[in-house]
Amino acid sequence: MRIQLIGLSAALGVLMTIAAPVAAHHAFAAEFDANRPIKLKGTVTKMEWINPHTWIHIDVKRPNGTVERWAIEGGPPNALFRRGFNRDSLPTGIEIVIEGFQAKDGSRKGNGRDVTFADGRRLFLGSSGTGAPVDGRDPADKRR
Amino acid sequence: MRYRYLFLVSLAAATTLAALASGCGAAGKPTAEGTPGSSSWTQPRTAWGDPDLQGVWRYESAIAFERPADLKGRDLLTDEEVAQKEKQEQEQQANRLSGLEGAAVGRRSIAESPIRGNEYNSFWQDHGRPRRIVKQTSLIVDPPDGLLPYTPDARKAEARSAARYGVGPYESYLDPDTGERCLTDGVTALMWQGPNGGHNMIVQSPGYVTILHEEYRDRRIIPVDGRPHGNIRQWLGDAVGRWEADSLVVDTTNFLDRTNYEWASIWTRPTETLHLVERFTRVSADTIEYKITVEDPATFSRPWTASIPITRLADDTRIYEYACHEGNQAMPNLLSGGRADAAKRRASSK
Repeated sequence: MRIQLIGLSAALGVLMTIAAPVAAHHAFAAEFDANRPIKLKGTVTKMEWINPHTWIHIDVKRPNGTVERWAIEGGPPNALFRRGFNRDSLPTGIEIVIEGFQAKDGSRKGNGRDVTFADGRRLFLGSSGTGAPVDGRDPADKRR
Repeated sequence: MRYRYLFLVSLAAATTLAALASGCGAAGKPTAEGTPGSSSWTQPRTAWGDPDLQGVWRYESAIAFERPADLKGRDLLTDEEVAQKEKQEQEQQANRLSGLEGAAVGRRSIAESPIRGNEYNSFWQDHGRPRRIVKQTSLIVDPPDGLLPYTPDARKAEARSAARYGVGPYESYLDPDTGERCLTDGVTALMWQGPNGGHNMIVQSPGYVTILHEEYRDRRIIPVDGRPHGNIRQWLGDAVGRWEADSLVVDTTNFLDRTNYEWASIWTRPTETLHLVERFTRVSADTIEYKITVEDPATFSRPWTASIPITRLADDTRIYEYACHEGNQAMPNLLSGGRADAAKRRASSK
């Protein structure tokens, strides 16, 4: 399906020039470092429901046994809520994997690009019942 | 908002933008009184006889703000092109709902993305319904070329703004743009943009129309009782309304000059010479044709008009608080990012 769509996209050419307003409340490049990709497996300690962006706080256990506290920027609370995300969606203690990019200043803050549960379910969707593959990522969506 | 970016992007980029647009409604059933466009539909009216525009509205279409270069000379798409775009939109939406990511939902890879805004991680955003595909090739319908008629000086200001967005300098809280400062993304885009959804609630009472914009919690209480403009300058100007046939016409002047602030997009900044005329015409149960005409010799060489279809959301749609300063971590992050960049520059110059 994905491959078909890419083919279709190429075929559509000019028709795909859809440009609708894209929101950029704040400039990613000023805050986060695209050359510092992070992949963190951690335990949720707090989901902070604040505007204009939620923050997910996690404890990450390093191989040497120490625990690092990370804060990851998430989507806007109103948008998350409208998508069915609520206070029970990321309960304290649940293990998640976050991929994203670290803050430019090197602190333990990041921008969350993808969030999955430890069993591979995606944050919003889950796989059970939807017929979606557990790993629904597109091959074109390569990471560094 | 990074509109200038939109007409610079490549074809591939535009594909992704499609998936990121704000066209996302709260989930819900279509509302309303009759079927859109059907002959049985009649203009709903308030108890006191004005056209009834009340409800929560949102821009849900996929139309470029300025006309893309590859559609130069064309103000409409063909039926076939619309059908193809619709098919693509439906497929991307189905892919999104079934958990696919990346190109399948029109998202670029991190390697391809310039990562200027949030476009690289659209998965957080409220995509809601598939966006409406219409024939219009740009929101700007006048000038006929569909492009902003900047003065030479404003074009320079726009280029300067584009060059510094995300790059800095970020020496103080004054350096981020007005949106990053939680102030506003500009009055001309209030009704139809918003990273967090662009939901707008219209409430009417005899003699007044009130619009509550979720984004930045802007609200406008617009008298429609024939009074003249006041003389107080404000960020959102001084708005007075009137009914012309079934259209609400809102005329706004007396904007503050905030041209010394950083604006992500120059066309949204208010100046003392800005004159904004908005026309709200309900053309079906779930659509308002929202037209803005912007006249401002400080920025534009002639007036321009955009025609923007906005969609009524389900009756039970609510809007929520947007307490932008509550946790605007962007500000400390931008400033500390600026310090980190400066340290790097110092180190490399040694």
